[in-house]
Amino acid sequence: MAQCAQSVQEFIQDSFVPMVSVLCSEDAERVTRKNNLSFPELLRPFCRLTSEGHLRDPNNQVVVVKGLRISVTGVNTRSPNSGEVRKLLSQAVSGCQPPEGLPANVITAGDYDLNISATTPWFEAYRENFLQSMPASDHEFLNHYLACMLVVSSREAVPTEQFLKLSQEQHRIQHSGEYTYPKWFIPNTLKYYVLLHDISDGDEQRADSVYEDMKQRYGTQGCYLLKINSRTGAAGPDEQMPDPWSQYLQKTNIHSPVSQFTSSIQARVLPAIHPLKLEQSADPGFPGNPSKAVNSADTARTQKQGSVTPGAAPTAHGACLTLNDHDRIRQFIQEFTFRGLLPHIEKNIRQLNDQLVSRKGLSRSLFSATKKWFGGGKVPEKSIAELKNTAGLLYPPEAPELQIRKMADLCFLVQHYELAYSCYHTAKKDFLSDQAMLYAAGSLEMAAVSAFLQSGAPRPYPAHYMETAIQTYRDVCKNMVLAERCALLSAEVLKSQAKYSDAATLLIKMTSEDSDLRSALLLEQAAHCFINMRSPMVRKFAFHMILSGHRYSKAGQKRHALRCYCQAMQVYKGKGWTLAEDHINFTIGRQSFTLRQPENAVAAFRHILINDSKQTATQQSAFLREYLYVYKSLSQPSNEGSLPQLPLPCVHSAQTRVFFGHEPRLAEGEKQAATHVWLDQEFDQEQAQLWAELEEQVVAVANRGSVHISFQPTQYCLSSHTENLRYPFAVVEEPMFVEVVFRNPLKVPLVLSDLSLLWKFTTKDFSKPQGALNDIISTEVIPEFTVGLEETKVARLKLLPHKTGELHVLGIVYNLGTREEDNSASEGITQKLLMFVRGRQDLEIQGPRLNVTKEEKTSVRHGPDRRLDPIITPPMPLLEVFFINFPTGLLCGEIRKAWVEFVNVSAVPLAGLRVASTHPEFFTFGSATADLTPVTPTAAEHCSAYKTMVTPPSDAAVTLVSPAAFGITGDNRPTVVEIPLTGGVLGPGEALQIPLWLRGPDREGVHEISFLFYYEGLEKNAKLGHRVLRHKAVICASRSLSVRATACRSNTLPGRGKRDEREEERSGSMLVFVDVENINTSEAGVREFHIVQVSSSSRQWRLHKYIRENKMQKIHLASRERGKLCFRATRCRTQEGETDSCTKFCQLTIVSSTTPCADFFFRRGPPSERQSLTPANSTDDSMTSIVRKCSEVELDIIVLWKAYVVEDNKQLILEGQLHVALQTIGKEACSLSQKEEAQEMVLLKFKPDLPPPASRPSLEQLSHLIKTCLHYPESYDHPFPQKSLCMVPVTLTLSNCSLAQVDVIIDLRHKTTSPESLEVHGSFTWLGQTQYKLQLRPQEVHGLSLKACFFQAGVYNLGTPRVFAKLAQSGTMCETSQQSAMPALIIINSV
Amino acid sequence: MAVCVAVIAKENYPLYIRSVPSQSELKFHYTVHTSLDVVEEKISTAGKAMAEQRELYLGLLYPTEDYKVYGYVTNSKVKFVIVVDSSNTSLRDNEIRSMFRKLHNSFTDVMCNPFYNPGDPIQSRAFDSMVSAMMVQSS
Repeated sequence: MAQCAQSVQEFIQDSFVPMVSVLCSEDAERVTRKNNLSFPELLRPFCRLTSEGHLRDPNNQVVVVKGLRISVTGVNTRSPNSGEVRKLLSQAVSGCQPPEGLPANVITAGDYDLNISATTPWFEAYRENFLQSMPASDHEFLNHYLACMLVVSSREAVPTEQFLKLSQEQHRIQHSGEYTYPKWFIPNTLKYYVLLHDISDGDEQRADSVYEDMKQRYGTQGCYLLKINSRTGAAGPDEQMPDPWSQYLQKTNIHSPVSQFTSSIQARVLPAIHPLKLEQSADPGFPGNPSKAVNSADTARTQKQGSVTPGAAPTAHGACLTLNDHDRIRQFIQEFTFRGLLPHIEKNIRQLNDQLVSRKGLSRSLFSATKKWFGGGKVPEKSIAELKNTAGLLYPPEAPELQIRKMADLCFLVQHYELAYSCYHTAKKDFLSDQAMLYAAGSLEMAAVSAFLQSGAPRPYPAHYMETAIQTYRDVCKNMVLAERCALLSAEVLKSQAKYSDAATLLIKMTSEDSDLRSALLLEQAAHCFINMRSPMVRKFAFHMILSGHRYSKAGQKRHALRCYCQAMQVYKGKGWTLAEDHINFTIGRQSFTLRQPENAVAAFRHILINDSKQTATQQSAFLREYLYVYKSLSQPSNEGSLPQLPLPCVHSAQTRVFFGHEPRLAEGEKQAATHVWLDQEFDQEQAQLWAELEEQVVAVANRGSVHISFQPTQYCLSSHTENLRYPFAVVEEPMFVEVVFRNPLKVPLVLSDLSLLWKFTTKDFSKPQGALNDIISTEVIPEFTVGLEETKVARLKLLPHKTGELHVLGIVYNLGTREEDNSASEGITQKLLMFVRGRQDLEIQGPRLNVTKEEKTSVRHGPDRRLDPIITPPMPLLEVFFINFPTGLLCGEIRKAWVEFVNVSAVPLAGLRVASTHPEFFTFGSATADLTPVTPTAAEHCSAYKTMVTPPSDAAVTLVSPAAFGITGDNRPTVVEIPLTGGVLGPGEALQIPLWLRGPDREGVHEISFLFYYEGLEKNAKLGHRVLRHKAVICASRSLSVRATACRSNTLPGRGKRDEREEERSGSMLVFVDVENINTSEAGVREFHIVQVSSSSRQWRLHKYIRENKMQKIHLASRERGKLCFRATRCRTQEGETDSCTKFCQLTIVSSTTPCADFFFRRGPPSERQSLTPANSTDDSMTSIVRKCSEVELDIIVLWKAYVVEDNKQLILEGQLHVALQTIGKEACSLSQKEEAQEMVLLKFKPDLPPPASRPSLEQLSHLIKTCLHYPESYDHPFPQKSLCMVPVTLTLSNCSLAQVDVIIDLRHKTTSPESLEVHGSFTWLGQTQYKLQLRPQEVHGLSLKACFFQAGVYNLGTPRVFAKLAQSGTMCETSQQSAMPALIIINSV
Repeated sequence: MAVCVAVIAKENYPLYIRSVPSQSELKFHYTVHTSLDVVEEKISTAGKAMAEQRELYLGLLYPTEDYKVYGYVTNSKVKFVIVVDSSNTSLRDNEIRSMFRKLHNSFTDVMCNPFYNPGDPIQSRAFDSMVSAMMVQSS
């Protein structure tokens, strides 16, 4: 329970006070009316006695009465019926609101800090009014009238007669039996005669004399002369008069006011007859009395004023009363109480006591004796039904049992609690034994109270008495009012004893369905009990507050309900109890709204919607509707800047993306626009890196090799992945898009309409007047945007700046609404926008967390993020690139011609156009030497991509080309290509179409090829130096031919051919075998491949001759077929540039030394083994290089082919070229480098790598030093019968292939050990010197004459000589066996 | 058997609340939340005496008109609350205890899941089905 203004003792004493009735003559009433008061009202502020009174109890003990209060009411004051009481209490509660500015006290419990008002004045007001409105009951006498004041004006003609009349009236009321109400305490009620004298009006002397007369008649203690109204005029405005009535009257205007007795008699029954009248909140008088009409209207007005404007002063009361008059009234009350009332009570207590004592001996003992004798066994047999019957038992008014109770009540009223307790106790026993439950309960209640009030506390507070009493009242007697009073008293007592838990239980028990207001108040008090416990029970407090709030709202006490919910909210807020929290918020929202606090309502509703609520969809849609409705009623149309923030839908600010530039165009017919960048593309770190590198390369080229330190790759799309520390640049008149991510947390779809961006613009030049908003920046508005239930959706909002300056995108502005399915409508209008509100949401993006300095590391700091703050720069050129006839699929090595179109779509000329690519070998724009006849792409469509010329099918043509002509300088491949523009500038709106050759990648599969087009404006823009355009092409390469080539040394004999050939062969010749296989698997698509031409490119070698059977045989390869070509290559002397020789298979010769063939050849990727060519370690090991050189070829073979492809029932001829680089004799080279095939999963081994062996010429290389050749007649006839020995001359030719001196040892004795050779020939011997040692100069050919000796005819292998060679300089090395010669068979015939 | 089963984190926010669908969920949320006061009271009074020998089962927290609320606190101060219909008089204390034990075991399983982040709402299907089993037995 909350703290109260009064102490418990005060509270209980004030709850039970002696009641005094007033009977007033008409004249007297008129006197008091001057002050706007009735007589009881006049007295009311002075009813509390300031001094102590004394009386003696039956045992002659002095009883001190302290702070006694008496209640003075008109005799006809009826007790309001329940409906009225309800209304009255409700008013009392609603009229009493928590003070605004009062600091609430903070209670800390656990981790909760609660702001709770410690006092609950509304509860006290309720309690006071409730107790005062208690109807008088027969079972107790506490609120029965003890005395009656008879008031007569001194102006009356014969006051004494008037007194007599009133006295008779009183007697009639009490005893005639006509009226059940009012109730009187004792049959002979104390009558107190009061002569009211109006000083301003009446004759004072006469009054005095009348008073003297009265004194004689009624005794000095029974009458009083009260002089009032000493003020003649109205009080001056400057005069400050205390108005003690105002608080009483305002608080108690609900009481039925006192009216004059005479007029009220016939009206007293009215309430029962006219229930309508009960509806009036404050019935000022009795309408049946015309004489009071003015009066009642007057009072009514007063009350009305009071209720409407509680702060305003009501009609002044006591206007004719001076402070002296106040004193006189006070004196009067004191006199009345001490001289009249207390002695009267004392007398009656004595009387009752005497009666009881006298009866005790007889009736009591007799009673109990009879009970003993007759009723002993009877009581338990009584059925419950009987008990219930007896609950309604009524004693006659003069029953002896009631006399005890009466005495107890009297004692209680004069604060003699000890005696009261014993009397109550006795009475309780009697009643219980009689099964008079109502009476018993009343006695129990009062016994408990008086036990509590006894000073010194001789006995503990009997809480169980109270419990029994409450239970009896409630369950047996069904009297909730009494039960409630009992509970209120008990709870207050328990509270004073800090038994909060008990008090709470008691209060909670008292809540019931029949009265919401009471339940609400009691629950609230119970909640306060929980929080006031030694260990505060916060959650119980909160829960009961909610229950209380619920009941308050049911009782119509919105303000209190709201307060309760708000207090409970403190406990539930942010603790994860979302369901409960939402419920409270919703209620707070509603209550706030009905109380015209829309701000609070909006805040509360907002809370519900922001949280990830777990409510059902219907619930959420209800919330949302309510929110929108409240919001709508709150917000007045205002300008955009001051729009309030909307909670829905959630905006993921960090995921906001910004794109600068135009929306990409779709392909226009044949033209395919560059893909560039667009919001649809996901951010890819690798790709971004790749583009940045490309851009850096191209910038380096454009700036002649240097890249500025502050170089930053151009970013068109800013997202959370990009670095957004700098202000991005946007170009004027070019759009920018902001992609906002919305998430709808609700299970209800949300509709956003008129969605647009909110921005702030700072212009650069202040001279120009700023135009309308749309002149600066046009803002695109999305008319409707729906976010489905629990959906995350992006909206792209466009801005088009028209001025240069600084732009800041602040947020978004939109109408928030919800859709409602309208099932009744058939179609078309099934959905309608129910309602919407306009609001905004800010986009605030937090930059990445800083983590550089120590300070930043230890604290959480975030860097700026400027993606929404672009700087609008002056116009820049804008390039668009279109590709025409750009393929998506190519055969490996296929050459295709496409066209590319560059368009400058801006109003500014464009220059410095370059392109960089990740795959420079994929495309070429042609070399500068090639004539760029601008053939239109359509015309060139069916022509060959190659340049051809008709030549007779001669064998070979040789041309000299230099790679520099094709833009190749040095070893590195060019990744950046400059695109020639006419005059170097592409003017505004101009377009340029140039051809583009493509070559299918060597490796099959899908290839992503990135192009980065670089360009810049003519005048240097400080902020934005260049711009780029990205394109990503995807090419699917399918298999075509596999070309493998091997070279081997030819063993042809020198001197057999023509002279020039011999000359060439002296320097060496080679056989080149080219193995071509069709590995294309799609038989349906590619019918067959034709090898059109084979070209070679080398510094030293050229293809000399095609060795074939049939001169004009064409090589056609269907799927999975293979063909082998054999060429002879000869060494040529030209060292400058690369020779290009070709061998063709058809009439047309493809000029392989021009674009595009040569372009692609020179752009071919570095073959895997190419690096071995560079003689890096020649200095330290010259011998190695010499040895290597002798087996080295540097010959590139280009195979040009045509593929016959059937596509859509049309035959197409595709052309292509494949490159093979031959490097070493005997080693096979392939058009596909097999590098990646070998890459398998290798177990990771954490072992130190073995150091690579010292680079020494391998045995294999050393075995190629010397070429050997045997010259002998193929068959030899010899007459064996004649001569047994056959001598055949044989010449062994040794040729030094290396460029160094070589020592050679020839061993003829050597015999082949292989078994099969033994079988083939019989034995023969070499005659003469069998071991030679020679030294051969570089490239020297030496002939050695030998003689073989045969014994019989047969076939012999002469290839037995073993040749060992070593370089002359290296003494340490031993000789290496040279490659064994071919089997050289000789047939010896016998003749 | 049970009409509502709740798991409350040490910091007194709900990790898991499940109630029979026939009745207002909100009511159970309030009931469970309010019961925490009693749980705390019981812990603070019993906990001081013998912290380690404290029984995890707290018994009947408080009866309301319609329900009985039982409590259980693990050693890590995670609270289990089971609300039982008052009309169900056949339910013995032992059965409640075994329900709590089952709940605790299942909760331990949830905590053992390496992918479960302690303090997050429990979304384990196994736990859910176990609780459903507890609630199904009533009908």
